[in-house]
Amino acid sequence: MSEIAPVDGGKTAQTPEQKLRIFNGVLSIGLIAFFLTAPYVVPMITNDFWVSVTAEIMIWSLLAASVNLLFGYTGLLSFGQALYFGAGMYGVAIGIAKFGLGFWTAFGFGIVCSVAMALVAGSLAVRLTWHYFAIITVVFSLIFYFLALTMSPLTGGDDGLSFTLPPMFKFGETELSLTDPTLQYYFIFAVVAACYLLKWRLLESPFGRALIAIRENDVRAELIGINVYMMRLASFVVSGFFAGVAGALFAFFGRYASTSYMFYHVSGEAVVWAIVGGAGTLLGPVLGTGVLILLREELSVYWDHYLLLVGMIIILTVIFAPKGLAGLIDTIFLKIVTPKAKVARKSEMQLTDSKVRQPAE
Amino acid sequence: MELVLALAINGLIWGLIIALIALGLSIIFGLLDIINLSHGDFFMVGTVLAWFIVHWTGSFWLAFLLAPLIGLLLGALIMKLVIVPIKGAAALSIVATFGLSIILQETVRATFGPAPKRLLPPVEGTIPLFGIDYGIYRLVAAGIAIVCLAGFFLFLHRTKIGAWMRAVRHDPETAVALGIPVQRIYTITFALGFAIAALGGVVAAPITTVDFRAGVDILPFCFMAVIIGGLGNLQGTAAAAVLLSFMEGVITAFADPVVARIVSLCLMSVVLLLRPQGIFAGAMS
Repeated sequence: MSEIAPVDGGKTAQTPEQKLRIFNGVLSIGLIAFFLTAPYVVPMITNDFWVSVTAEIMIWSLLAASVNLLFGYTGLLSFGQALYFGAGMYGVAIGIAKFGLGFWTAFGFGIVCSVAMALVAGSLAVRLTWHYFAIITVVFSLIFYFLALTMSPLTGGDDGLSFTLPPMFKFGETELSLTDPTLQYYFIFAVVAACYLLKWRLLESPFGRALIAIRENDVRAELIGINVYMMRLASFVVSGFFAGVAGALFAFFGRYASTSYMFYHVSGEAVVWAIVGGAGTLLGPVLGTGVLILLREELSVYWDHYLLLVGMIIILTVIFAPKGLAGLIDTIFLKIVTPKAKVARKSEMQLTDSKVRQPAE
Repeated sequence: MELVLALAINGLIWGLIIALIALGLSIIFGLLDIINLSHGDFFMVGTVLAWFIVHWTGSFWLAFLLAPLIGLLLGALIMKLVIVPIKGAAALSIVATFGLSIILQETVRATFGPAPKRLLPPVEGTIPLFGIDYGIYRLVAAGIAIVCLAGFFLFLHRTKIGAWMRAVRHDPETAVALGIPVQRIYTITFALGFAIAALGGVVAAPITTVDFRAGVDILPFCFMAVIIGGLGNLQGTAAAAVLLSFMEGVITAFADPVVARIVSLCLMSVVLLLRPQGIFAGAMS
């Protein structure tokens, strides 16, 4: 998760940075192993309800990942990801309920809707940066939110549009469908994992490097020959794709779609999940989404006003851990593994540094 | 025709109140470079304070005095606790104010209750206006809003603190060099932004309902006024608020209110993409 390169050239047995990389690898594998075994492990500890919460966390973490790709890696803060989430969600719901599409065609239709929406909105939005970008993404999502409200015969408005789930496969008599909770869980897991794999591959590719270059300094990126507009647009479309897949999965998961999931509060929540987890890290958003959703499910039972705590966590994270939970874990780990002698040597070096500089003054 | 007229006047009056709130948003944005997602909730806190003050003291006019004062204090407190520690990180300020918005809404829901309530206007009755019976309080509200707007601009242009605020907005580094207490000006700006939003809330409370979610609906509208009027262009913001609301009022006479909102949002997108300095840029510099 950390991007700090080893300073000593790796001559010593293991620098703290190398240890951190291994530690992060172990954490990531642990996280993946948990999600892989959740349907069997979680009921042993509590009950089946938490399996479906885990599935929900995976879906929402994909929406947070779409914010993360834009903000954490491209430097564009989108407050309108709910629009592409909604496009995917309604693509599936309308496809099944109104057009009578099958499972896979509806899934594809939802994704196509969200990508097309992201392409059109993105080609306009990425002309702007910073504040203006954040505002225009909200405006676009609000326009379509209100449009969806006016078209309530098609969308069902706030009440939502529900549908019956078509089967995934049919082999003569036997039917496979998401009504089987375990199958549903692994379907969601497979799709979300594939998206994360894609995101990881993209970020490791020259495309990902170009995005990070743009995040760090868009003028320099332009000067070394990166087409900043096209790269930002590509990032926007890929992130719209992730949001759309999340929306489609959510429609399958809840067997309905509702305009309330297109409102800007959903976009805001996704931004919060990404930043609390750690923007600019691959699995940070999963962490942020998981912690905040668990908090919601666990606390809302006992305390009606648990949102007060959520608000405070958001503000405290922004003030004290601007790199999110992932950054916090990294910092703590580095503090533990860095040998005391090394810290002393560093301050010594700084001393000699200042001594060198003194004559110049 | 009467309906169109009534809705147009409604829009006009609502626009004057929005102008107050949007001015707060605009000075906070202009001086502190913060996108304040909790600004709608500052307005909402104003309406709730008005409700509480009226129910405790029985005097609506006292609310006009007390609510902005409490707003000033709350604004200064929030500035110290939340905004100062994250100053300089624009993207993080959006997230922090989103968290603040959640806290404000939830605090109000816990104390005031989740159900919307109505507040009776201090002046009741109607008068005939262009052939329709029009609520007197709405006209009073418009008058108060105009007085407050004038007062705000006088403060900004005729007082020392107002001049300092304009100086800091223009060039913070030179302002520091000239001995202006920039940090204090930042705090005053944020507190003032909260106070006038709260004042707008008091004025609007008898016209709309007192509800912990009121800020969520009003925030996008305030942003529209700020963007269409031009970021940092305060006169433009006030004018845009009135024009937009008037336009929405007229459209509402012929179509769904949601359609009116879509038209304004589309207008805002066009302005953002083609004239990010706002439609009044160039008219005054």
